[in-house]
Amino acid sequence: MTPVSFLLLIEDDDAIRTGLELALTRQGHRVAAAASGEDGLRLFKEQRPDLIVLDVMLPGIDGFEVCRRIRRTDQLPIILLTARSDDIDVVVGLESGADDYVVKPVQPRVLDARIRAVLRRGERESSDSSAYGGLVIDRSAMTVTKDGQDLQLTPTELRLLLELSRRPGQALSRQQLLRLVWEHDYLGDSRLVDACVQRLRAKVEDVPSAPTLIRTVRGVGYRLDPPA
Amino acid sequence: MTDQQTAPRRARSASWRRLSSLRVRLIAVFAAVALVTAVSASGIAYWLNRDAVLKRAQNSALNDFRDSLTRNVGQLPLQPSCQDLKSLASQVASSGLAYDVVVVDDSVPECTASSDPAMFTARQIPAALAAAVNGPRETGPGNPYEYHLYWQRVNLAGPYLVGGTKVVPTGPTAYVFKSLQNERADLNTLGVSLAVATLLALVGSALLAQAASATVLRPVRRLGDAARRLGEGELDTRLDVEGNDELAELARTFNRTAESLSEQVAELSAREAQSRRFVADMSHELRTPLTAMTAVTDILEDEADALDPMIEPAVRIVVSETRRLSNLVENLMEVTRFDAGTAKLVADEVDMADLIMSCIDGRAWYDAVELDAPRGILAVVDPRRLDVVLANLIGNALKHGGSPVKVKVRQDDEAHTVVVSVSDGGPGIPEDVLPHVFDRFYKADKGRARSEGSGLGLSIAEANARIHGGDITAANNPDGAGAVFTLTLPLTQPPAPGPEEAR
Repeated sequence: MTPVSFLLLIEDDDAIRTGLELALTRQGHRVAAAASGEDGLRLFKEQRPDLIVLDVMLPGIDGFEVCRRIRRTDQLPIILLTARSDDIDVVVGLESGADDYVVKPVQPRVLDARIRAVLRRGERESSDSSAYGGLVIDRSAMTVTKDGQDLQLTPTELRLLLELSRRPGQALSRQQLLRLVWEHDYLGDSRLVDACVQRLRAKVEDVPSAPTLIRTVRGVGYRLDPPA
Repeated sequence: MTDQQTAPRRARSASWRRLSSLRVRLIAVFAAVALVTAVSASGIAYWLNRDAVLKRAQNSALNDFRDSLTRNVGQLPLQPSCQDLKSLASQVASSGLAYDVVVVDDSVPECTASSDPAMFTARQIPAALAAAVNGPRETGPGNPYEYHLYWQRVNLAGPYLVGGTKVVPTGPTAYVFKSLQNERADLNTLGVSLAVATLLALVGSALLAQAASATVLRPVRRLGDAARRLGEGELDTRLDVEGNDELAELARTFNRTAESLSEQVAELSAREAQSRRFVADMSHELRTPLTAMTAVTDILEDEADALDPMIEPAVRIVVSETRRLSNLVENLMEVTRFDAGTAKLVADEVDMADLIMSCIDGRAWYDAVELDAPRGILAVVDPRRLDVVLANLIGNALKHGGSPVKVKVRQDDEAHTVVVSVSDGGPGIPEDVLPHVFDRFYKADKGRARSEGSGLGLSIAEANARIHGGDITAANNPDGAGAVFTLTLPLTQPPAPGPEEAR
C-alpha cells in the first residue's frame, strides 16, 4: 500500500465536495476540502498537499486561474474535474497546467486510479543520468537541469521526458505515451499528450516554437532527438 | 391503373407540354396572323395590279391598231390582191407600237398577209376569236355597228394579246398580235417582291413573338428559379418587382409568401433551439446532484453486505439506479451535443484491432465475443468515440442476440474505408423494427416499459459514426439467424481536426 497521500479538493458544490471527500478518504487518502478558489489557494499554501483535485466551475476565480496561479510557483500534480470531455474546458485546463482530467459524474474508483497514477509519476527510479546538449536528466535524483539550472517540471512533464529519453531517437505514438505516462487504457485523450508536450517544450527547448529536442513526427507522435 | 400503363402516357404528355409551351404557342399564333394578313394583302395587290397593267397595255395596243387600221384601210381596193393585203398588214403594223398584223380575206384564202410571216399566220388565230369577229351582231339602238373589235389573250411562245376585227363588213379581217412579255415580266417581278415581303412579314412576326414571349417568359422563368431556390431552403430569396402588371403582382405575392415562410421557419427553428437548449441545460443541471450521488455509491455498495437485510436491497437499488441515471444523463448530454453540432472529434491514428480489443477487454466481454481482426489496419478516429460505438454495438448484440457475437474487421482499399461488422446468433430484428433501430428511445416491444439500456445507445453510435464521416447499417443475416450491424468508417478524416501541430 502506498503511503497515505494528502489531497486538496476544491469544489464549490457542497454535496459533491462532501461526497468526494468521503469517497476519497475511504480510498485511503487524507483529504482537505475548500469551497472556493480563494479558499483553495489559501489552504494550498498553508497545508502543502501532494495533489489537487480541482473543479473548473468555481465562483470567484475559476479553476483555470487557480491552476495557473499554483503553476507559477509549484509543480505538484493537478487533476481537473470538468463538465464535458470534448469541451474547450479540457483544452484550456490542460494549457493552464493540469496533469489530467476527469469528467463529472466521476466514479470514485476512476478518480482514485487517476490520482495514484499521477502520484506514481514522481517516484524515483534507480538508474543513471543522461544528457541531451545542455539538458541533463538525473533519473536517480529525479531532477532535470538545463545549462546547470534546475528546471521546475511537474511529475507528468518529468515522466513524459523520462519516457521519451528512455528511447532516444525513437518515435512514440500519443497512445503509447498515454499508456506509459498517464497509465490510461487504450482510449486516452491525445490532447493530454499534446498539451503536456507544449508545456515541456516551453521549459526545455531553447526556442519552444522551433523545437530541436522534442520533435513532432507527423502521423506518429513525438520523439526525443539525441544531441547532434 | 398500373405504373407500366401510366409511364408512356406521362412521356407523351411531357412532349405535348413541350410543344404547347407558351413560347411555341405565341410564335405559332403570330406567324398565322402574319401569314394570313400578308398573303391576302399581297394577293389583292397582285390581282389589282395585274388587271390594271394588262388593261392599260391592251387598251393602248387595240386603240392604236384600230386607229392605224382606220387610217390605212382607205387605200385598199375593193377586190384586194394578196399583195394589197400584205402591204396593208405591214402599214398597219408600222404604227410605232410593237405589234404585228395579219390580214385574212376569204376571197384569197391561200394568201398569208402578215407583217411578220415567219412568226404570225392565220393559223395562229384562235377559232373562237375568229368566230366572234366574223359573226355579225344585230344592230339596234344600243349597238350601232354590226362588227366589233374582239380580243383574246393566248399563249404563243409567250403571252400574246390577239385582237381582230372586220376591216369592212364584206372585206378582209385584220388581226393584231401584241406581245405581253414585258407586262408578264413586270408582274412576275411584282409577285416575287410580294412573296419576299410576305416572307419578311413572317420572319418579323416570329421575331416579334419571340420578343413578346421573352418579356412574358423572362419574369416567369425568374419566378420559377426563385421558387425552386425557395424550395431548396434559400429562404431569403426575393424577386425584384418592376412595374404594375400581373407578373409584378405575382412577384409581389411570391415575395410576401417567401417572407412569411421564412418567418415561420425562423420561429420554428428558434423554438427547436430553445427546446434543445432546455434539454442541454436540464441534463447539465442534473449532473451536479448525480456527481454527488455517484461519489457515494461506491461507499454504499461496499457497505451493502454489512447492512440490515431489509435495507440492503434498498441500498442496492439506489446504487444501481444512480448508475443508470448517470448513464442516461451522460447519453442525453451526448445527444444534445450532436443536435447542437458541438460534438468534436479528437482524432488520433489507431490500430483498429487494438481498439476493439481494448473495448472488449475493458468490459470483460472477452469470452463472449469472437474477434476476427487483422492487425495493422490503421484509421484516424476519435478512440473514445469509437469505443462508445463499438461498446454499443457489441453490448447490443450480447443483450438482444446472445453469443456467439462475431466482430469482423476488414479494410476496403477501394473505398478507402474500414468496415466493422458485428453479428449475433439471436433471433434477428423484425422487419418492421429494422428502420427504427437507430431511433431514440425506440422500444421494439411496447409492453416493455423498462429496458436495461438508455434507449439512446444505437442513436449515439450512429451519430458518432456520422461525425467520423462514416455510417452504421442494421440488417438481418441473410443466411440464417441473427442481426448484423455494419460500421463503415473512412480510414482518414477529411477535415483532419487531429492533434497535428503547426510543426
